[in-house]
Amino acid sequence: MFQIKWLLSNMKGSRGAYAAALCLSVVCNILYITSPYFQSRIIDTFISNENAAENLANNRSLFFWLLGGMVGFTLLRTVMQYCCNMYYEKASQGMIYKVRTHLFRKIENQDMSFYDKFRTGDLMTRLTGDLDMCRHMVSWVIKGIVESITLFTASIVYFFTIDPATALCILAMTPFIFIVTRLLSAHAGPAYKRVRETSSALNTAAQENISGNRIVKAFAREEYEKAKFRRHDEEYRKANIDAAFVWLRFQPWIELTAGGLSVILLLCGGYFMIQQHLTMGQYVAISGLLWAVSNPMRNMGNYVNDFHRFLASAGKIIEIYYEAPRIVDREDAEKEHKFRGEVEFRNVSYSIGDKKILDNISFHIAPGEHVVIMGATGAGKTSLINLIPRLSDCESGEVLIDGVNVRMQKLHELRANIGIATQDVLLYSDTIDSNIAFGDSEMPEEDVHTYAKLSAADEFIEKLPQKYDTLVGERGVGLSGGQKQRISIARALAVKPSILILDDSTSAVDMETENHIKNALDNELDFDCTKIVIAQRISTARNADKIIILEKGHIADMGTHEELISREGYYKQIYDLQSGMSA
Amino acid sequence: MRNKYDVDEQLETPFNFSHLKRSFVYVNKYKGSMIASLCLSIVAAVIGLIGPLITRRALDVTIPEKNLTELALLAGALLLCTAAAMACGNISGRIMTRTGQNIIFDIREDLFAHLQELPFSYYDDRPHGKILIRVINYVDSVSNMLSNGIISFIMEILNMILILIFMFFVDAKLALVALSGLPVFGLIMFAIKTRQRRAWQNVSNKSGNMNAYLQENIVGARITQVFTREEENARIYDKLNDRYRSAWMEAVKYSNLVWPATDNISTLVRAALFVVGLVVLPAGTVSLGTLAAMTGYASRFWQPVMNLSNLMNTFINNISYLERIFETLDEPVTIDDAPDAVPIGEIKGAVSFNNVTFAYEDGINVLENVSFDVRPGESIALVGPTGAGKSTIVSLISRFYDITSGSITVDGQDISKVTLASLRSQMGIMLQDSFIFSGTIMDNIRYGRLDATDEEVIAAAKTVCADEFISKMEDDYMTQVNERGSKLSGGEKQLISFARTLLSDPKILILDEATSSIDAKTEALLQKGINELLKGRTSFIIAHRLSTIKNCDRIMYVSDKGILECGSHDELMSRRGAYYELYTSQAS
Repeated sequence: MFQIKWLLSNMKGSRGAYAAALCLSVVCNILYITSPYFQSRIIDTFISNENAAENLANNRSLFFWLLGGMVGFTLLRTVMQYCCNMYYEKASQGMIYKVRTHLFRKIENQDMSFYDKFRTGDLMTRLTGDLDMCRHMVSWVIKGIVESITLFTASIVYFFTIDPATALCILAMTPFIFIVTRLLSAHAGPAYKRVRETSSALNTAAQENISGNRIVKAFAREEYEKAKFRRHDEEYRKANIDAAFVWLRFQPWIELTAGGLSVILLLCGGYFMIQQHLTMGQYVAISGLLWAVSNPMRNMGNYVNDFHRFLASAGKIIEIYYEAPRIVDREDAEKEHKFRGEVEFRNVSYSIGDKKILDNISFHIAPGEHVVIMGATGAGKTSLINLIPRLSDCESGEVLIDGVNVRMQKLHELRANIGIATQDVLLYSDTIDSNIAFGDSEMPEEDVHTYAKLSAADEFIEKLPQKYDTLVGERGVGLSGGQKQRISIARALAVKPSILILDDSTSAVDMETENHIKNALDNELDFDCTKIVIAQRISTARNADKIIILEKGHIADMGTHEELISREGYYKQIYDLQSGMSA
Repeated sequence: MRNKYDVDEQLETPFNFSHLKRSFVYVNKYKGSMIASLCLSIVAAVIGLIGPLITRRALDVTIPEKNLTELALLAGALLLCTAAAMACGNISGRIMTRTGQNIIFDIREDLFAHLQELPFSYYDDRPHGKILIRVINYVDSVSNMLSNGIISFIMEILNMILILIFMFFVDAKLALVALSGLPVFGLIMFAIKTRQRRAWQNVSNKSGNMNAYLQENIVGARITQVFTREEENARIYDKLNDRYRSAWMEAVKYSNLVWPATDNISTLVRAALFVVGLVVLPAGTVSLGTLAAMTGYASRFWQPVMNLSNLMNTFINNISYLERIFETLDEPVTIDDAPDAVPIGEIKGAVSFNNVTFAYEDGINVLENVSFDVRPGESIALVGPTGAGKSTIVSLISRFYDITSGSITVDGQDISKVTLASLRSQMGIMLQDSFIFSGTIMDNIRYGRLDATDEEVIAAAKTVCADEFISKMEDDYMTQVNERGSKLSGGEKQLISFARTLLSDPKILILDEATSSIDAKTEALLQKGINELLKGRTSFIIAHRLSTIKNCDRIMYVSDKGILECGSHDELMSRRGAYYELYTSQAS
C-alpha cells in the first residue's frame, strides 16, 4: 500500500529509534507472558502445596529468591516498557516533524492554481488532524499490531508445547477472525473517508466564518451562519456515528469468536481431560494464558478501524505532499546578480482556465522608468504584473528582465529584486516593525523608520501607543485601509528592489498622502529602481514616463500623458471624467 | 491583550474542578442514555462473573465425573453468557457512540454561537488559527472523555469498591496490607500529575502557536513568495515545530510514567502480602486459602487502579483542551443586546451623534465629543486624512463598537437600547475588505438577502455593473470562487460585495471606500447605480476620490478626533478651509 511506503520513507532518521521500539515491544510482551511465573511458583510451592508449611520452613531462601525475582522482573519489564514507549514517541514525533516541515515548504512554494484548488480550512485539516492520524499509526497502531502478533504467536507456540491437540482446537477459531476483520475492513474504508470529508467541510465553514467575521456582523447574518455551521456539524456527527456503527456491527462477531475461545477450551479441553489426554495442570496453564490469544483477536478490529482512518488521512496528506509547484527554477537558470531593472514583454498571452486574460502583449520598459498601467476592472492589470515576479507563468511569449527570460532566472533572486505592494494588503499578526522588515528581518530599526517615512506611514505609526512595536492583527485588522496600504508600500520599498510594483496600492490613501508618496518615490529613494504602478487616477499617471492602457487583455494604447490626451480613447475619457469634476 | 504566533496564550483562570463540573452540564442532558449504558455495563460485568463459576463447576465436578452431556451443557451456558455480555456491551456501545457525538455537537454549537456574539476586537487580537483549532480539534479531543471516559470511570470505581468489600470480608488485616500501597500510589500520582498537567498545557499552547503560524502562511503565501521569505518563514515554522516536539516529549515523559509506577506498586503489594502472610504473622494466623484468595484479590484490585490511572492520563490531557474551550465560552460578549432591548422597527433613517467619545484602547481617544444630526434620506460624505476616524464613525452607527461616552440614536432611539439584529439587518455596510466566501458567485451576492430569487440577484449585479464580467466567467453566476482565489480581481470582488449590499435593501447605507479598487470608467457607470441606491436612503460615504462624493447633501471633513467642517460642497468650497484645500489639490 502506497500510504505505508510513504510513511516508511518519512521515518528516515527515526528508523533506528523505531526499530529499537519494535524490538523492545516484542521482548516486553514475551516478558509479560512469562512474568506470572514467579507468583505461580510461590503459590504452588508455599501456599497451595500439601507440604507448604515444610517448604517454607526448609526453603526460606527459595521463597525470598522468588519474591525478589517477582519484584525485580516487574521493575525490569516496566523500565523496558517505558524506554520502548519513549522510543515510539521519539520516532513518531520525528516522523511528523519531518512531514510537517516538508509540507510547510511545499505549501509555501505553491503557485496560484494550488490555492484555487485547496482552501485554507482544508489545508489546515491536513496538517493537523490528518497528520495526527499518521502519528497515531506509527506510535499506536503498528505498535499494537506487533504486540498482538507477538502475544498471539508466543502463546500459541506455548500451547503447542503443552498439548498440540488443544492448541489446534483453539487455532481453529482464528480463520473466523480473519473473515470478520476482512469484511469490517471493506466497510470501514468508505465510512472513514466520509468522516474525513465532512470534517474538512466543517473546518472550512468555521475558518471562513472566523476570517469573514466582519461581513457576518455587517449583514447581521449570525443566525444564518449558525444554521450553516450546524448543517456541517450534523453531517460530521452523522458520519462519525455511521463509522462507529460499522464497527459496532462487526464487533459482536469478533467478540463472539474471541470469547468463544473459552467455550472451545472448556469443551475440547474438558473432553481431552475426560479422555485422560490432558492433565489438570496443563488445562490451568492454557486457560491462564488464554487472554494472550483472545485479546489480540479483539484488538484486531480496532486496529483495522484505525488503519482505515490512517489510509484516508494519509491519502489527503500525500495529495499535497507530492503536489509540485509548476513555477520552479530551471536547471540552467542564470547565476545571481543585481538587476538593472529593464522589463520587456514579447507577445505575451495568459489565460485562467478557458478565459483569455492577456492577449499578445508587448512593451518595453527601460531601467529607471516610471510606468503606469491603467484599464477597466478585469482588464488584466494585476495578471500582467503577476507575470513579472513569476507568480504565474505566461502561456506563450516571453517576459524578459534585463534581457533574460524570467523563466531562466533563479526564482529566489528574481523575486528578491522585485518589490510589490499588492492590492489586497495582507499583514502578519506581528509588530509593525517586523511587518515592514518582512523582506529582510535583519534590517536595522532606522531603516524601517526611513521606509515608513517614505511611504508616509511614520506619522501615524508614531501616534500609536507602542509605535513600531504595535501588534497588528491578522490581515492588519485594527488599522484603516489606507494605513495598511502605507505599511505595505514601506514593506515593498524596504527590500530596495530594482523593480518596484505598486498594484493600486494607494487607492485607500487620501490625495495629500498620495502626493507625498509619489514625491518620495520620484525623488527620495536612495536606490535606482524601475517603477510599475497600477492606478485609477489621472493624477497618479500624469507624470509617468509611459502610460499603458489595457483593455480586455490587450494593449489599447501607450504613451505619455500629453500624447494620450491628444487622442480619443480610454485615457482621454477618464481624463475628461476626472477633470470634469473640477469644471 | 493581543497575541501573535510565537506568544503562548496565558490561561486566565487557574485550573479547578469547576471546569469538570461545568462539563457535566453537557453530560447531564444525556443522563438517561448515560444511566442506561451504565446499567448495561453493570449487567455485562455481572454476567462476566458467571463464566468462572461455570468453569469451576466443570473442573471440580463434571470432568472428574466424566459427564460429557453436562460438559456440553456447561459449554453451551458459557457461550450464552459470552453472547449476553457481548450484546449488553454492544448496545451500550451504540448508546454511548450517539451520546458522545451529541455531547461534542452541543459543545461545538455553543462555542460557535458564542463566537458569533464576540466583538471584532476578539478576532483582531489573536491569530485566527488559534480560534479555529478550538472549534475543531479541541472539541473533538474531549468527546471520548465526556462519554465513554465517564462510564469507564464509574465502572472502574464500582469494581474497586466491590473488590475492597471482598477483601475486608476475607481478612481485614491482610486487606490493610494490600491497601498500604495506595498512599504511596497517591503520592507518586500527585507528583506526576501536577507536572503532567502543566506539560500538556504547554503542548496545547505550542500546537496553537504552530498552527496559527501555519494558517497565516497559507493565507499569506503570495506575500511570502513576493518577498522571498520562504526560507526564513520555514525556519520560523521549524522552530515552532521543534518547540512543539519538545513540549510533547516532555509531556509524554510524565504520562508514560503512570502505568509503570502502578505496575510496580501492585507487584510490591503482592510481595508484601506474601511476606506478611507467610513470614511476619505467626504461622497459622492466616489460613493458606485466605492468603491465596487475598493475592488473587490484590492483583484484581490493582487492575482497576491501573485503568483509572490510564483514564486519569487522558483526562489530564483533555482537561487542558477543556480549559481552552471554556475560556473561549467565558470570553465576555461586550456588545450585546441590553436586557430590555426592543427591536428598532422599520428605520426611517435619522441618525444623531450626541457628544460621542470613543477609544479602541483605553485612554487613546479616536473621537472626542462628536455631535451631528442626519435627516432621513440625507447623503453624507466623510472625507479627511487616512486614519482620522472616518471608518470608526461609520462602524459606530452599526454598533460594532460601544462608545465611551455620549449617545448615538437612530430615529431617536438610542442604539444601545435596541436589538443588534434589528439594527444591523437594516443597514447596508460595504467595508474596505470585500470578503468572498467559498461558493458560487450567486451565493455570495445572495448573502445580502437570503430569500432573494436568482432574478433579483442578477438584477442587483446589473445595477452595479457586475453582470458584464460575471456573465463572461466559465459558469457565469454559478462559478465557484473562494477567498484567496485568483478568479476575481480586486475590483471585481468589490463589485460583488456592492451587489450584495444593494440586494440587502438597507435603510441606512454605508459605503466605506467601496469603489477604491474599481476603475474610473466602471465607477462612472456605477455612479448611476449608486445614485439609484441612494434615493430615499440615509447614506454615509467614505471616499478619497472627491468626484464620487461631490453630489452628497453634506460633506463632513473628519480630522483631529472630530468633525472639522460640515456643509455642502459649495458651502465648503466658499469657506476655503481644509476641504477647499483638499479639493483643489485633487483637481490640479
